[in-house]
Amino acid sequence: MRILIVDDESLNRTLLHHILEEEGYKDCIEARDGYEALKLATQFSPDLVLLDVMMPGMNGFEVAPKLKSLYKGSYLPIIFITALDDRESLIKCLEVGGDDFVSKPFDRLILAAKIRAHSRIRLLSKRVDKQNQELLGFRRKVDREHTIVEHIFSNAIVNNQTVSRFFDYKVSPAATFNGDVFLCEANPGGGLYFMVGDFTGHGLASAIGALPVTRTFHALALKGVSICEMAYVLNEMLLQLLPPDMFFAAILVEVDASGTRLSIWNGGMPQMLLKSEAGELVRKFPSKHMALGILEQSEFDRECDVFDAQQGDQLFVCTDGLMEITNAEGKMLDEEGLERWYFASPHVTAEHLYQQARAYLGEAEPHDDMTIAIYRATPLYELKETIQLSTTPFEIMMILTSEDLKKDQALEALLDMINSQPGLNWIRSDLFTVLTEIFNNSLEHGLLNLDSRVKRSPEGFITYYEQREQRLAELEGGFINIVTIYSPEKKTLTIIVKDSGKGFDIENVKMPQLTSSSGRGVQLVKELCESVEYSEGGTKVTLVMKI
Amino acid sequence: MAISTTWESENNSLTIQMDDKFDYSKVQEFRQAYVETPAQPEEILIDLTATQYMDSSALGMLLNMQKYFSDKGVNYKIVNSRPQVARILKISRFDKKFDIS
Repeated sequence: MRILIVDDESLNRTLLHHILEEEGYKDCIEARDGYEALKLATQFSPDLVLLDVMMPGMNGFEVAPKLKSLYKGSYLPIIFITALDDRESLIKCLEVGGDDFVSKPFDRLILAAKIRAHSRIRLLSKRVDKQNQELLGFRRKVDREHTIVEHIFSNAIVNNQTVSRFFDYKVSPAATFNGDVFLCEANPGGGLYFMVGDFTGHGLASAIGALPVTRTFHALALKGVSICEMAYVLNEMLLQLLPPDMFFAAILVEVDASGTRLSIWNGGMPQMLLKSEAGELVRKFPSKHMALGILEQSEFDRECDVFDAQQGDQLFVCTDGLMEITNAEGKMLDEEGLERWYFASPHVTAEHLYQQARAYLGEAEPHDDMTIAIYRATPLYELKETIQLSTTPFEIMMILTSEDLKKDQALEALLDMINSQPGLNWIRSDLFTVLTEIFNNSLEHGLLNLDSRVKRSPEGFITYYEQREQRLAELEGGFINIVTIYSPEKKTLTIIVKDSGKGFDIENVKMPQLTSSSGRGVQLVKELCESVEYSEGGTKVTLVMKI
Repeated sequence: MAISTTWESENNSLTIQMDDKFDYSKVQEFRQAYVETPAQPEEILIDLTATQYMDSSALGMLLNMQKYFSDKGVNYKIVNSRPQVARILKISRFDKKFDIS
C-alpha cells in the first residue's frame, strides 16, 4: 500500500508520515505542492492520496480531478485533509473528485480507519482491473481464433454454384458459427443431392460437426451412392464422432435427372412440404427416423420416401429455428403458422419467409440458426454438361490367376480405378453390369465349366451358385485377362476379356426366352455396348462402350 | 448394408429392400428373404431405392422367386428403381412379368 501525502507544510507532512508508519504503512511518499503531487503520482502510482486543500499554486480542489484522470478505469482514493469545516467546503471536497475528508487537527484513529476502508476498495478495484485485463486478453485470443476458424469454415463449406442455383435458400445463423447445414451436389449419375441439417445447439460447438459432414457428403455424392446409403454412412461417422448428448437432425434428398423423382430420408427434421405450381399442398414428408448420430448401425433404418413430383412443384424444407421463433406476445410461430405463411401464395421465396420471420420476432433476436431451402422441380440434364470428362487416355491390364480369382476382389478394384477418373463414373452402373456379365461368363463357363441348364429349377438355381463357390475354391491354374482402354478422343471405353477356357461355339448363341434362367446376360451386354465381338473360339470378347 | 425385409401381416405383404448391389453375391441372402415369411405372401415388393448395380443373375433371382411361388397368385412389384436399373429391367423385358415403378 503506497500512500502519497500532499501538503505544503513540512510539519504536517512529517506528522502524517509518522502516524502512517505507526499504523503499518511504511511505503509513503511526500509532495510539497500540487505540481509535485502529479509528478510523483505518475512516477510511483500510489494507492491512496492524502491531499491538503489550501496550498499555494494549485490548490487541492484543482489537483484532485487531475490525479483522478491519471487513473483511468481503476479507483484511486483521495482523502482531503482540511482545516475548513464549513459545509460548503466539505461538500466541494467530494464534488471535485475526493472520496473522503479528515479534519485538522488529525484524529489518529479516524484517519487510520478511513485509510483502511479506502484501501479495501482500492484493492478490490485493482483486482477487478486485473480481471478485466485478463478478460480482454482472452477475448482478443478468442476473436483471433474465431477469425481463423471462420476462414476455414468459409472455405470448407462451399456449395458448387452450378448446383446451388437450382435452389432458393436462406441461411441465417444465430451466432457467428452455424449449427445448420445446407449442402448440395450433382450426382455423377444424373440429377442432384441436397441435405439440410441441424446440429444440437448452435454456435461453434455445433458448427464444428459441419466439417466432417460436408466432407462425407461430397465424397459420397461423388460416388453417386443412394440417399439411404448416404444416411447410413453419415450416421456411422457421427455416432463415432459426436458426444452422446449431441446429434444431427437431417433431411437428405436425391433428385433424379428429370428433376421430378424425389427420394427423401428425413431424420428428426421438421416436415418437408411439397407445393404445386398453383400453390396447393401436394404432400407432406414428416420425419420417419431418429436424427443421425444416435442409433447403432444395427438399429438404423434407411427407408426412404420416393415420390414422383410434377415439373414446377416446390419442395420446401427448413430447420426448427424458423418454427420456434416467438413474437412479442410470447406466441411461437409453430408448424401451422409456418404452413400458413408458405401457402399464402404460389411463390413464396426463402428471403420473403426470412423477412416475415424477422418482422414476427420484432425487436428480439432469434435464439437458433434458421435455414430455409426451396427446390423447384425442373429438368437437371444440363448438370451432366458440367461434369468434365478426363482428357488423359489410359490402359489397365489385369492378369488374374486362379489365386486372384478366389479372392473375388478384382472386379471391384477395376471398377474403382475406372470410376475414379473424372466423368467416367457417369456410366458406372452400365459398366458394372457389362463387366460382371463378361467376367462371370469367362469364370463360370470358361474356367469352372458350369452348366447353365442347372439353373432351370428354383433349387437348381441355388445349386448352380453353390457349385460355383465350390469349384472356384478348388480351381487350379487358368487365368482371366482383362484389358481396359479409355480413349478421351473417341469417348470410348474398350474392354477385352480373354480366358484360358475351352471357349464356345460363337455361331450358336441364341437370344434367350424371357422365362429362361440363363442367356440374358449376353443380351444385356449387347444392349449396353456399342459393339460386342467374340473371337479366338469364344475365349476372347471385345466390347466398346460409349461414354 | 445388407438386404432387409418388412412384413405386413394385415395384407400379407413382404417388402424386400435391396442394397446398392443386386448381383450374384446375393443369391442366398435374397432367397432367405422370401422363403421364411410368417405366412404365404400375397404381395411381394422389391424396393430398389438403394440399388445402383445389377447383373443378369439378379434377373435370374427375380424369376426364380416367381417360380418358387408359382400358381400361388402372388402379386409382384419392383418399386423405386433408378433410371439405370430400370433400363436393365426394360432391356430384359421384365416389365411384362413385374409391375415396375
